[in-house]
Amino acid sequence: MAKTEGSAKVVVCDAGPLIHLDELDALDLLGDFPEVLVPEAVWREVLRHRPLALEKKTLVLVRVAPSPGQPTSLLRGLFETMSLHRGEQEAPALATKHEHALLLTDDTAARLAAGVLGLGVHGTIGILIRAIRRAQRTKKQVLELLGAIPNKSTLHLKRSFLATIIDQVEHEAG
Amino acid sequence: MAATTVIQAELPPELTDRARSFVEEGWAANMNELLAEALRRFLESHSGDLTEAMIQEDVNWGLHGKD
Repeated sequence: MAKTEGSAKVVVCDAGPLIHLDELDALDLLGDFPEVLVPEAVWREVLRHRPLALEKKTLVLVRVAPSPGQPTSLLRGLFETMSLHRGEQEAPALATKHEHALLLTDDTAARLAAGVLGLGVHGTIGILIRAIRRAQRTKKQVLELLGAIPNKSTLHLKRSFLATIIDQVEHEAG
Repeated sequence: MAATTVIQAELPPELTDRARSFVEEGWAANMNELLAEALRRFLESHSGDLTEAMIQEDVNWGLHGKD
């Protein structure tokens, strides 16, 4: 299957998807995006929990230092209200600086904040399933990856919900 | 007084230090109150229904998105 659709210009990663995709040996899926930006606080978090994820030869991750100066009061207030920690703050803040940027996070509060900021936001599950549409993995391979989530990754999902997702992919994916 | 449950948890020292300082400065009555409030807020902002709805959006994007 040819890649006939464009991908977002820039992806900004929170720690969750980097860690979870690496746990599933699927970090290469991010290579489909032209640029993968990793804010400094996220880089450090991944370095602490999953250092090998930062050393893949097949994927170029761009480490981005935080911008000088304070975030706007709107951003600060939003992040404090959502109780986002450092990495979860830096990732959406960085994404707001890039037009059409896609934020990748598995944290619900960070997703909420991203929604308020008008950012496109997805997570590990979306990237895995997208791999079928982008011809990076076969449907069978993605179904196996989804099935491996409870045992092979630290992404926590309700089992019955995961079963529903697998069923949907089985029936709707090309 | 409402019934309570004692929970033993291992926390990173930096987080514990910040929590203690927060209490000592007077922003919370004690560590129990602070931890209960932190837990309540986390559970509210990470409700199962909300998380499922967001992941479902992810599934639909993965299957049928354009980017």
